[in-house]
This record gives sequence, C-alpha cells and structure tokens, in this order.
Amino acid sequence: MTLGGWIALALALLLGGGLAGLRLPRVWLGCTLGGTVALLVAAFTTLGVGVDWVWQSPWSLGGERVHLRLDGISAWFLTLVAVVGGTGAVYARGYWPDQAQPESAGRGRAWWSVLVLCMALVLLCSNGLHFLMAWEAFALAGFFLITLDRARRETRAAGWLYLGASHAGTLGLFAFFSMLAARTGSWELGPMRSATELAPLFWVALFGFGVKAGLFPLHIWLPSAHTNAPSHVSAILSGVAIKMGLYGLVRFSGWLPLPKGAGWVVLGLGVASALMGAAFALAQNDLKRLLAYCSVENMGVILIGLGAGLLGLADGGASWGRMAMAAALLHAWNHGLFKSLLFLGAGSVLHATGTREMSRLGGLWRAMPWTAGLFAFGAVAICALPPLNGFVSEWLLYLGLFESAAGHAPVAIVAAIIALGVTGALALAAFVKAGAVVFLGAGRTRATRDAHECGWWMRGSMLALAGLCALIGVMPLAPWFFITRSLASWEPGWSGIESPPPLATLGLLHLAVALAFVLAALALWRRAQAKGIRRELTWDCGYSAPSARMQYTGGSFAAIASGWFRWVLRPERQMRRPRGLFPAQSSRVERVPETVLERVLGPAGGVVMAASAWVRQRQRGHLPDYILYLVAGLVAVGALVLAGSWR
Amino acid sequence: MNESLNLLVALAMGLNLVALGSSRLPSLIRVVALQGMVLGLVPLVMEHEVRGMVVLVAVATVAMKGLVIPGLLRRAMRTANIDRDLFPLVGFLPSLLIGAAGTIGAVVLARWLPLLPEHHETLLVSGALASVFTGLLLLIGRSKAISQVCGYLVLENGIYLFGMLLLGSTPLLVEGGILLDLTVAVFVIGIIVDRIQRAFDTLDTRKLTVLRE
Amino acid sequence: MSAIVEFLVRLAVWLLLAPLLPGLINKVKAWVAGRRGPPVLQLYYDLARLWRKGVVLSTLASPGFVVGPAVAWVAVLGAALLLPLGPLGISLSFRGDVILLVYLLALARFCTTWAALETGSAFEGMGAAREVSYAVLTEAAVITAVLALSLRSGSVELGTMLASSAGTGSVLLAAGLFTVLLAENCRVPFDDPNTHLELTMIHEVMVLDHSGPPLAVVLHGAAMKLLLFAVLLVEAVLPFGEWSGLGGAVALIGGVALVGVGVGLVESWLARYAFKRVPLLLTTAFLLCLFALLVAWKGGWS
Repeated sequence: MTLGGWIALALALLLGGGLAGLRLPRVWLGCTLGGTVALLVAAFTTLGVGVDWVWQSPWSLGGERVHLRLDGISAWFLTLVAVVGGTGAVYARGYWPDQAQPESAGRGRAWWSVLVLCMALVLLCSNGLHFLMAWEAFALAGFFLITLDRARRETRAAGWLYLGASHAGTLGLFAFFSMLAARTGSWELGPMRSATELAPLFWVALFGFGVKAGLFPLHIWLPSAHTNAPSHVSAILSGVAIKMGLYGLVRFSGWLPLPKGAGWVVLGLGVASALMGAAFALAQNDLKRLLAYCSVENMGVILIGLGAGLLGLADGGASWGRMAMAAALLHAWNHGLFKSLLFLGAGSVLHATGTREMSRLGGLWRAMPWTAGLFAFGAVAICALPPLNGFVSEWLLYLGLFESAAGHAPVAIVAAIIALGVTGALALAAFVKAGAVVFLGAGRTRATRDAHECGWWMRGSMLALAGLCALIGVMPLAPWFFITRSLASWEPGWSGIESPPPLATLGLLHLAVALAFVLAALALWRRAQAKGIRRELTWDCGYSAPSARMQYTGGSFAAIASGWFRWVLRPERQMRRPRGLFPAQSSRVERVPETVLERVLGPAGGVVMAASAWVRQRQRGHLPDYILYLVAGLVAVGALVLAGSWR
Repeated sequence: MNESLNLLVALAMGLNLVALGSSRLPSLIRVVALQGMVLGLVPLVMEHEVRGMVVLVAVATVAMKGLVIPGLLRRAMRTANIDRDLFPLVGFLPSLLIGAAGTIGAVVLARWLPLLPEHHETLLVSGALASVFTGLLLLIGRSKAISQVCGYLVLENGIYLFGMLLLGSTPLLVEGGILLDLTVAVFVIGIIVDRIQRAFDTLDTRKLTVLRE
Repeated sequence: MSAIVEFLVRLAVWLLLAPLLPGLINKVKAWVAGRRGPPVLQLYYDLARLWRKGVVLSTLASPGFVVGPAVAWVAVLGAALLLPLGPLGISLSFRGDVILLVYLLALARFCTTWAALETGSAFEGMGAAREVSYAVLTEAAVITAVLALSLRSGSVELGTMLASSAGTGSVLLAAGLFTVLLAENCRVPFDDPNTHLELTMIHEVMVLDHSGPPLAVVLHGAAMKLLLFAVLLVEAVLPFGEWSGLGGAVALIGGVALVGVGVGLVESWLARYAFKRVPLLLTTAFLLCLFALLVAWKGGWS
C-alpha cells in the first residue's frame, strides 16, 4: 500500500471510530487501534525512507485547496499521537467503561477518536486556513474530553479556563497566519527562510503556540485542566496535546526566518518553565496536579533544547545545535511516553481509591503492586535517571549544551546547564515524594482500604508504554536514526554533518547496568531469604504504637526545598495551634495557589472589570450625557488630527 | 607583581562573601579585620621598589584596620553586652547570592570601564566595586549598629582600593584622610552605641524607628 | 585479555579498598581526641558480620526495601567504574560519560530515599526529605564543577577532563568539591555519623530500619561513594595526565589519604551545623565552584 493509502485508511478509521464511539465500544476500539497503527506505519515509512508525502485536493475547502504534507517533523510528532492515542484508547476501555459512566462513556470514546484525528490533521495540514480549522477542532475536542465528568463544578471551571486560554492562543495564531498570508499573498505554507521580512512573525507564533505548550507563565490553564480531566485524557493532553504547541514552534522555526535573539528568548523561557515547573510540582499535594506541573517542567527542558538549537542555527554551531535540537525532539517523545504512563498510573490510583489527595493515600503497593511498580518505573524515567529513556534525551541535551559552552560559553548557556541540573534534582525530589507518599508506608485514611489493582486493559496499556520507555533506554540508536531524518527536514543544511554522539556505547552501558541491577537485586533478596527474614513493626526509634498518621506527609517531605521557592509559590497557611493542657482540635492546612493565575491575572482582570464597570455607569440613558460624550469624542478626534498635522 | 596583587584582591573579594554569610557578630568582626589586613598588604605589592614610606603606610593600615578598629568594636560589643546573633533584614542565603551576583557584575563592569591599560590587567577596580557593593548590602541588610559599622568598614575598604589606583600620584594624602575619617567615625559610633545601649537597652536599629518625629 | 584483567583490578580496587577510607577517618578522629579508636579495618569486620546476619523487615516494607539498596549499590559502583583511576587510566571513555556518572549517583539517591520511605517511619521520612532537598544544592555545585572542568579542558570526557590540573581555579574547585564531598557523604558539618540523636541525622536515619545483608550493602555503597568523591576531588585538582605508573599511583593514594585525613580533622574540629545554616554552606560550595568556573572560563585574570 502506498503512503497516501495508509494515511487515508488511518483518517477513515479514526473518523469511523468517532462515529461508532457513541454506541459500539468494540468497533470503536478496533477502529481507533487500526487507525493509530496505520498512522504509525505512515509515520515510520516517512521517517525510515526519508521521502515526504504531499497531496493536494482537486476540490477546495473554504476557498483553498486542501494541502496535506507528511515530512520528517510531522511524522516525528505523528508517532507520538498514534502511540498515546492507541494505548489511551485501550486504557479507556477499562477506566471509563459504560457500566461505570453510562452517561459520558460514549461521548468520551467519540471525542477521543476526534481528538486523535484532529491532531493528525494539524500535523498534516500545510495550508494556513486548514491548519487553523484543524487546530480549532482539536482544541474543542480537548474541551469536551476534559469536561466529560461535567457534573463536577471543578471540572467545568477547568474546562472553561482551558477553553478561554486556548482561544487566547488561537487568537495569536489567527493573527500569525493572517499576517503571514497577507505578506506572502497565499495561505499555502512551506519553507520560506529567505523572506527575511517575515522574521518578526515568530514572536506572534511563540505566543500562540506557547499557550498550548504550557510555557511558564502561559501555563495557567494547564494544571487545572490536566488535574480534572479523566486520567486517560490527562495522559493524552499532557503527553501529546501540549506537544502540538511544540510542533508549531519547531515547524515554523524551521520554515520561517528567525528574528535576532529568538534562540535566547526560547532558551530563557525554557529555563524559567523548567525551574518554576519543578518547584511548583514539588509543592503540590494533588497527585495529578504534581504531574501536570511536571509537564511544564519538561516542556521547559524541551525548550532549552530548542533554544540551543536555534542558537546553533544562528551562530553556525551546527554540531552542538543539532545535538540540542535532537535532544528536544527525543525528549518530546520520551515525555509523551512516561508522562502518559504516569498519568495512567495516577488514574489507576484514582480509580481504586477515589481520591487524588496524596495525604489521604499511602501503602497502596500491597493492593496494587502492578500500578506501584509501573509508577516507580515511570518516576525513574521522568527523573531522567539511567538506564531509561529520559536520561538518553537529557544526556543528549547536556552534551549539546556542554559543547556549545566549550565553544564560546555565553553566560546564558552556562546558566541553562546549571538550571538543568537543579531542575533534575527538584524533579527527583518531587517524584520520590509522589511515589513514596502514595504507594509506600501505611495507608493514611480509609480511602486506601478498599483499593484494588486495575484490570488488564489498564495494566496492558501501561505495560506497553513502560516497555517503550525501556526500549528507548537500551536502544537509543534507533530513535537517533529517525531524528536525523526529522532534523533533515527541519534544517537541510545540517544533514551533511555526521558526528553522532556515542549513543551505541550509552545503550550498551544501559543494558549492562540494567542487567546488573536485576542480578544484584535478586542476589540480595536471595541472600536475605537464606539468612531468614523476620517481619516486625517499623522500629520508629522505639515508639511502641506507631500509627499511619505519624508518617511523613508529602507536605513535610517537600517543606525544605519548597521553602526556598516561597517567594514564587506563596503558600497560604491556615493554622490552629494546640493550646492549653488538654488541647482541642488543632490543624494546619497549607495550599499552594496558582500564583500566576490568582496573583497576577486575577488582579489584572479585576482592574479591567472595575474599569468596565465604571464605563458602564456612564451609560445612564440620559440624552444630554450622550451629547456630551459625542462632543468630547469629536474634540478628541480633532485634537488628534491637529497633533498629527503639526508633526 | 600582578599575580600577588590579584591574589590579595581576590582574597578580599572572597572575604566579602564570607562577611555576608556570617551569622554572628564576632565572626563578622573577625572577617572584616582580616579583610583590612589583607588590603593593608596591597601597597607593598603594588610598588616596584619598596620605599620606607610605603612600608609605613602598610604597617599603619594593617594595625589600624586589623587590630585597632576591630578591638574597639569588640570592646563596644562587650561593654554594651549585646546579643551576638545577627538578625538579618535580608536573609543570609539571599544576601550571599546577591553578593556573588554583585561580585560577578563588578568584574564584568570593570571590563567595560574605560580604565588605564595597566589597571585593566588587575582586579583592583573589580575588587573595589565589589567591596563597595558588599558594604552597602551589609548596611542595608543587617540591623545592629555594630554590624552596620562593619558594613561601613567594608565600604571603606572598597574606597581604599579605589584609592590604590592613585597610589602613584597622591598616595598618602588620600589614604591618610580616609583612615582619619574612619577612626573618628568608629569613635563616634562607639560612643553612640554606648549611649543608645544605656538609654534604650537595645542596639537593634529597627527598634529605634519610634524615635522618628 | 588484558582488558579483562584491568577491569578486574579496577573492580577489586573499588570493592575492596573502599571500606578503608572510613576506617582511616575514624582513626584520625580518635588520634585527635587522644583515643586509640577502632581498628582501621573495622568496617570490613562490620560488613562481614552483617552479611552473615538475618534480616528484620518492617511489616510495611515492600520488596523495594531490599531492591533499593541493591540498585543504589550497583549505581554507585557503575559510577565509580567510569572514573579514571590514576595510572590505570580509564576503562571506557566516551563523550558525556561524566553526565552518566552524575546521574548514576542521582539514581542511587532515588533508590536510597525510596527505600527509606518504605517503612512509614517519620524519622526516615525526615532523613529522606533532607537528602533530596540538600541534593538540589549539591547538584548545582557538582554540575558547575563539571562545567568548570569541561570548559578548561574543552572536553566532556572524564579521561581528558581529569587529566590536567584545574589550573588557577583549582583551590576554589578543591574547596567547593570538598564541601560537596562532606555534604554528599553526610559527614560533619552537615551530618554527624556518630550521633545517637536520630532527629539530627540525614543518611544514618534513612537506613535505620535496614538490617543484615541489605545494611551491609548500604554501608559498603556509602564507603564506595566516599571514595568516589575523594578520587574525583584529587584527580580534578592534580595533573594526573602528566604522571604515569608508580608516581601516579602514589599521588592518587596520597591524595585520597589526605582527603580522608582532612575529613577526619574537620570532624574533630567542627560541630555539626544547625540545619538552617546548611543551605548557606552548600550555597557557598556552589559559589566556590561557580568562581572556579569563571576562572576557568576567562583563563585566569593575570
């Protein structure tokens, strides 16, 4: 079958899935899986053979011919859409079934297929008008998926916030595409690096795509949307949907000329997102909100790579720029995989216990060993620890940045490297906290008592994602091959340079280390068994009756490091101290607000509302008032004209 | 010559940071005394041939900054019988980071300034700027009267380093004037500290705000 | 064939010599205090005894409680094997091996803290919280030090980075790395390995509930980590690329012994810092490395 055939098949199957989703769950699953597999085949054919696929319709839609194009970059992101779209669909079968959610399960299935379809179309469209259409449909599908459980007030609020923020971004994109069309005279997109007058448009694109990518401080919609959506939706939103924003940035930085300083700005945004995302993640007490902030962090890491890549492009640093850019692309893949895995794991916890509040959980490994093990696996991957995939991409990124620093060492690169190190340590703290507080120790409340392991649908999809994480970890050379193809369509000038980083060595070492881990763990376990294992109460320094409430909570675990970021986290504390000899109830509640939303945008919005209210008061329906306004307006216009003519 | 000069000035810059990180009054005084002594040695390494006058200045500076003034401060501390913990207005960690940023900034700024070529090679101007910055930071960030004197001393060390640039032309005039000024200041502050302590039982300048009109 | 022999020698050095260093430190401390102190080989005896003992597990602990120490031990050993070892040189050199080293140590930290939180004990939670929090600052210092070395040598390979001396900034770098060594290995003034007050500990309190062979692995891993940092410090400062054979070996052994004595002296003369002062000290270490980086970058000011 030809490439076009596969794509047509995929789109048709996904469309069929969207139609069948409402009533026929099995047909839907078949269609969606078939569609994603067809997408994968198409994407890997393009990446493997290195031939672009272009198709133009004989008819026109909205006055423009439909122009689809599958090249290295869109194929790279298409694989991610397909993998997470497929595994998430399998997961949804167990997680959001008709029996448990009779009202919304059908809608959820239908919108899922539509979301995957629309994301594929966003990646394929090569015409500004149709790109915007697909983009808008993709945003709407996301909105309906987030608000599946619309009985809950929080969910509705999160959905509206998402929709509002998303449209603010889309507004930026409208401006971007229409200005582009106005200057080039056509909606057709394609490489136009030579048209230097288009360079300033990059800033508009950065805003529009940055909102979708969840960059700090444009991330305001992200935490609440990812927290309140059903978990498989959170997985695809966090793993894939925000990558569409990244795709936009990569795509148009590859096609359009870049303004001066673009690399620096992107690098700075990346550093800010990485550091702030990690700090906020560490301070959260809601499991899914922690994961959501971690997405901000990882987008920051990816953007550091992109920024360094842009710098390399501008400075002629082909070798390190290419490495950093490759790291950004690979990290986008990796983050899609392990973040989806973690969100699916969090979904299993939510499914089993009914709460996301970490301070209510604990000791879940006993009831849910699979979920606990897979979550720990994902945590190791996301902390960028060897021998898993997260480390491969961060290692590439470090390598690119180090080589760039060795070249001419601008202060920003040095700062980015140090920030990357600090971010890694913060993420490690956050994920030790998340994993340990939820799965280890003793159950803190009743919620954990009836916990049960998730079914095979859910387990299977998580296992598939974990397997991919391990595969990239021990075979990093395979994605590198595809990345070079992808980068060739981003910057053709770099394709001649071949200084492959020693990924084969790294992969072998990873394999050796992983084997050593397994062997050592087995040996130690057998030794302990041979010498006899006795089970006793936790020692706890001699305390005879430790209770589950005496355990370290997530808040106390993170207190030291998040205290260093108090200036931006601004935690709100409510405390009732114990008083007297026989103290009555005392409590301490700490909440980390959405600083940007509540402390910056909220007050700013308040000012706008107050100003509008004042203006509205002027509208009293008195005719003389209106005449006064008219005269004042005329005088103002006259003054403006006069001022203009004087100059 | 440049090597040892730069070593001394770098040492003084390091001591700036130590001063910012000191949490107790005696250690702060010790650090400032040490810095004074280190800077007192600077004239010795700056001159190509060591003249008697330069040695005299060096000895006087070391004695004054390293022994006399710290001694006075320690005496004031003892007689006023004050709490030795510093209660910072700007935390130690932030002030350390700001100080480090300021030091790096001073080095960068000194590279931009239009200086004589022979001064470009040395750290003198950077060290002077950094010390002035640190002194101001100490003055702003520490509330006790004695720690403020220490801030003044660090500030003065910075000005002294600037003075070193003029060592070739009008050396002793500048230096002598500054030393005199400073001694008077220390005496005055010593007396005031004593009086404040007797009158209000505290040396925390934050608590003196009620004295405003 | 010779490669295998060389690898075995390297492995033996790390596995067998690591427990010597804590013994040396304890001897120095005893000497300063005027005591005779435990024998230098005390840790070997302890390890042998623990390895033969049975295991007591908390009722709450999952298999991860035993897996964690094993993985952490392998990770530290793996990191150690990446380091060049004086005259033995480096076994496997590739671009970016230094980053693998740093992140293997981070993996060890992940596993140690994960295992610590298994038991649900408040004390171990406290230790783990301190460990991961202070690691944020030490990580910054370590990355900065690595960057300083890399900038000076123009390479991202451990073999080249550690071959020459750190040049003008070596004093700064040595001071910074020594502080990091103290913090990462939980020595005074960050942590007191000898105290019996669990509230004030970092590393020891994390391993309170370990016993038998897992505890032996934990202790041996800690000794290897100490040796690793000592070797790293010595090789970062001294120009090992210029010495070969016996000279290099003597320099390395002497340097590591010197570091051990230094740790012992610090422990004899300093008291543990209050916890609120620890970040200040770690920031100082970071700043030292940062200034070393600046010196390396500008090639010195003279």
